[in-house]
Amino acid sequence: MKITPGGVVAAEWTKFSSLRSTWITTGVSAFLLIAFGMIASASFSGPGMSAVDLALSGSTLAALAVGVLGVLLAAGEYTTGMIRATFAAVPRRLPVLWSKSLVAGAAAVVVMTAGAFAAFAGGAAVLNDGVSGVGLGDGGVLRALLGAGLYLGLVAVLGVALGMLVRSSAGAIAILAGGLLIVPGLAGLLPRSIADAITPYLPSNAGSAVMTLTPGEHMLAPWTGLAVFAGYVAITLAAAAYRLKRSDA
Amino acid sequence: MIEVREVTKRYGDKTVVDRLSFTARPGQVTGFLGPNGAGKSTTMRMIVGLDAPTSGDVLVNGKVYATSTAPLQELGVLLEAKAVHPGRSAVAHLLAMARTHGIPRSRVDEVLHLAGLEQVAHKRVGAFSLGMGQRLGIAAALLGDPAVVMLDEPVNGLDPEGVLWVRNLLAGLAAEGRTVLLSSHLMSEVSLIADHLVIVGRGRLLADTTVADLVTAEGVRVVTAAPDDLRALIGGAGVTVTSTGALAGEELFVTGLSAREIGLAAATRGIPLFELTPQNASLEEAFMDLTRDAVEYEAAR
Ligand SMILES: Nc1ncnc2c1ncn2[C@@H]1O[C@H](COP(=O)(O)OP(=O)(O)OP(=O)(O)O)[C@@H](O)[C@H]1O
Ligand SMILES: [Mg+2]
Repeated sequence: MKITPGGVVAAEWTKFSSLRSTWITTGVSAFLLIAFGMIASASFSGPGMSAVDLALSGSTLAALAVGVLGVLLAAGEYTTGMIRATFAAVPRRLPVLWSKSLVAGAAAVVVMTAGAFAAFAGGAAVLNDGVSGVGLGDGGVLRALLGAGLYLGLVAVLGVALGMLVRSSAGAIAILAGGLLIVPGLAGLLPRSIADAITPYLPSNAGSAVMTLTPGEHMLAPWTGLAVFAGYVAITLAAAAYRLKRSDA
Repeated sequence: MIEVREVTKRYGDKTVVDRLSFTARPGQVTGFLGPNGAGKSTTMRMIVGLDAPTSGDVLVNGKVYATSTAPLQELGVLLEAKAVHPGRSAVAHLLAMARTHGIPRSRVDEVLHLAGLEQVAHKRVGAFSLGMGQRLGIAAALLGDPAVVMLDEPVNGLDPEGVLWVRNLLAGLAAEGRTVLLSSHLMSEVSLIADHLVIVGRGRLLADTTVADLVTAEGVRVVTAAPDDLRALIGGAGVTVTSTGALAGEELFVTGLSAREIGLAAATRGIPLFELTPQNASLEEAFMDLTRDAVEYEAAR
């Protein structure tokens, strides 16, 4: 009998799967991705719009939902007091952060990748006449769908890191929503030259690059964008790890 | 074995535990006593590494708890504050803890049975009563079959049957050679099971003693037909005789002499005695005296 990395991951999976809120939040995330993708596919058309971009237009809201999933998993331990049992069992603490991130990230990648494909298939079925359909084999389509799953998986990890860092669900969700949704809007208020320089590097803009078939002018290359977003996640994780080691539980 | 060595904990500029040292040894139940806010729960959190001491150190079975490869086997703990997610079932909670250490599912069922929680094992913990929550906490503490069991006010919320269960459980664990540390602010409860007492007040060690040593003879209650004669006979230096005013003035309270000495003296003069009863300070009083002094000492500084 001893602590093993695999054991801590198994424990985190047990915690993840034994809460109703987990399943609800996961289901809502997938639903938002698919439903908004289909609605947009059926309704919108215009120059430069591709079927894939339309199918993935639910990704902004899905990101918020999947981020909340990560937050609840982590901050929920603090708000309920469960963290004391968790750290009494794993007093080194960091394995808990890594395992929680792994479980939330992997679950989100699996479900949201499936969701992205479902949104694509559903969107294709209801696609309006103003947009030409594309196939999975067409350039960039597979990358965009797989990239959507990876991006949303990383958002779940970001939620875990924020939850462990600020230890309050409301606080972490506010930071998450602010970082993903509000910051890009605020950047638009800056002088044009500055905005153009920093906008591509903002978290949600960088992360979405990977799932955009027709990138705009001020957008990073797909994998570069995802790497930048992964950088944000890594920094937040490092901050959470630092606080975990330094302060009382 | 738990060794607390010169441990100090400050929150801001408030010193909650002040250079506290004591040892809880295997094979005995150590009662950890002190009034509200004495720092008992804080000390226990430092023992499991949830809070870090400002200075000093704590060893569990000779090492720092966090460095153990199987912490749940070293020490099982029930903390004062709730440490379980209300949305999970008892089984899922214990299973999650067990999996960190590769503890088999059968052990989870075992501790659920031990705590009498089989019927509610699949219910959400949020729906548990206070006592059921305590039982789950105790089940969790026993999960790793630990060498040290540390419980913060375990009987809190338990019914009489539950209190008896905890008492027998702890006595059994100590008899198996385990170290048992339990906190309380009720001396009467602790004195029934503890061999060794560690008493704290305002974060400081007030006494590291045994139940037997703490109970000191206080005086003798005497009921006699001739209170004035007896008073004249035994009165002297170091002896106080006071009338309690009860029983038409026939009851006296004597300190400084044993019941035997009073009885023999009365016999030499043929003074009839109806009652001759040594009165021990109750443990509760001894405890209160001890902690009251600490508060005065603290205030005088
Ligand atoms: N995290 C914290 N931050 C600030 N003060 C704290 C913290 N935890 C405990 N305290 C303070 O430390 C003191 C000791 O608290 P503690 O809970 O250890 O006492 P206790 O002996 O367990 O009391 P009780 O018998 O009421 O359970 C209290 O004054 C409490 O307010
Ligand atoms: Mg306490």
